[in-house]
Amino acid sequence: MVNKLIKEDTKMFLTGNEVLAYAANSAEAEFMYGYPITPQNEIMHTWCKLLPKTEAGFLQTEDEISAGFSTIGGILAGKRAFTATAGPGNVIMQDAQSMAEMMRIPFVCAVMQRGGPSTATVIYAQQETRLTCYGGNGEGFRIVYSTAGHQDLYDYMIKAFNTAWKYRFPTYVLADGYQGKMREPVMLYDPASRGITMVPTEKALLAEGEIGVDRKSAHMRNTYNMEEELMEVLDSYQADYDKMSEEVQEWEEYRAEDAEILVIAHGIVARSARTAIDELREKGIKAGLFRPITIRPLAVKPLRAAVSRAKHLLFTESANGQLAQMVLEKIYGLTTPYSTLFKMGVGVTGDDIVKKVEEIRIKEAI
Amino acid sequence: MARTKIVLAGEGGQGVQSIAKILVEAGYEAGKQVLYIPNFGVEQRGGVSIAFCQIADEKIGEPRYSKGDIVIMLSDRAIDRCSTYADKNSTIIYDTSVCTKKPTCECKEVIGIDANRIANEELSSRVFNIIILGVVLEATHVLELSDIKNAMEMALGKKFDAKPELRELNYKALEMGINMVKKAGV
Repeated sequence: MVNKLIKEDTKMFLTGNEVLAYAANSAEAEFMYGYPITPQNEIMHTWCKLLPKTEAGFLQTEDEISAGFSTIGGILAGKRAFTATAGPGNVIMQDAQSMAEMMRIPFVCAVMQRGGPSTATVIYAQQETRLTCYGGNGEGFRIVYSTAGHQDLYDYMIKAFNTAWKYRFPTYVLADGYQGKMREPVMLYDPASRGITMVPTEKALLAEGEIGVDRKSAHMRNTYNMEEELMEVLDSYQADYDKMSEEVQEWEEYRAEDAEILVIAHGIVARSARTAIDELREKGIKAGLFRPITIRPLAVKPLRAAVSRAKHLLFTESANGQLAQMVLEKIYGLTTPYSTLFKMGVGVTGDDIVKKVEEIRIKEAI
Repeated sequence: MARTKIVLAGEGGQGVQSIAKILVEAGYEAGKQVLYIPNFGVEQRGGVSIAFCQIADEKIGEPRYSKGDIVIMLSDRAIDRCSTYADKNSTIIYDTSVCTKKPTCECKEVIGIDANRIANEELSSRVFNIIILGVVLEATHVLELSDIKNAMEMALGKKFDAKPELRELNYKALEMGINMVKKAGV
């Protein structure tokens, strides 16, 4: 058991990376494995700085391949372990993430997106959206929370541990370099004070009791002999995933009820959209926001309802439509026309969105 | 809603991020809403280093903005890179003793200061950025000098205690920055 540092509501002025380290501690995480890559380094720096007080553990591995598999090892050994990465690190960690999917390991990972492809920039992007949801050689049996600022980082990092340990699918906090590096005020709290009970950590291997008498043997596989044998397992995973989806899906609507132009955005871009929507509303333009918080699984029913109500959609991302692709598949059959504002690896500002919505209004005569 | 957007841009190593941290810390301690995004490349030195700061009375929405109210440009490359962050409402302040050209982009006004020369000749090259912090303070009028001094104490207090003359040097640098803007009549 680790020492939790946040025992009462504590307002702090932190970078997002620092927030994540505190959140992991509040979620009773016991061990972090990681390898440095900007812009997520300060998660491990902060985690390490707090170690004398938390008495938790840390291992810097030789690369992200190892960090991913070590995290799995830690979890199998009965520790509430997690990792964090970004960019090319996220790419090479996919093998371990796939294994976590296959073996239903409660793998928790914070992804602080940076520009891509390849090394690109160390600053910011939303270009790991598809990778984080569907990376690896599998079917994307993952839960991905996309955060929009420091309070989200704290809230959803805590939630990620509970989701992972409850449903046994790899769970991600998908943020970005802005959120990692930027500083803003945040309220840290003990989860219990918000009525949050942490799902207990259980040993996957070497559990207590005699096999066959006190408990079943733990048989965790990532290798199968027969095609059908594999499909049987994956079908059951899909069924579990579908059953869980309505329970975990989260979304936020902002002034969307009567919106004629509905902005669809996730993460920090959704926050810029809120600024834009306030400005547009002041001008009498009926704009609103649909922000998927879980971008995997998407909240399909509320999404389709919001899209049906709108006259026009605007997808905006700091990527070339990675979220839009996932959303479009889920709103198949609806005929609401859409426009796009994609800035690959570049921040989307409120002004950008205001300008685009005004253009749409003229062009589409809304 | 009162929101002041400040872009600080220079070469990596000039101390742009250090003063941005002090600036937003001062705002936070003064009870303002603040948000700061550092923006730089993979280099330890060199390359353009930009700090996007916001100080507001109400909760801040967009973390990144299109145009700054005050845009500080401390190198030629910062001028090239950051002209896009200025428009007709922006005040541009650039360092004439570092830059070899004058910003020519759209703006409300352009003010040239020679902080680098003065730091080198009259104080110390190490407090160049603190002069700039004084410039920002006077050009924005959203924080008090005491707020900045408090935040400097939080960031540099240990160094100041070990060498009290450093505190005086930094205070002098702050004042010089303030006076530069006063003299320019912003």
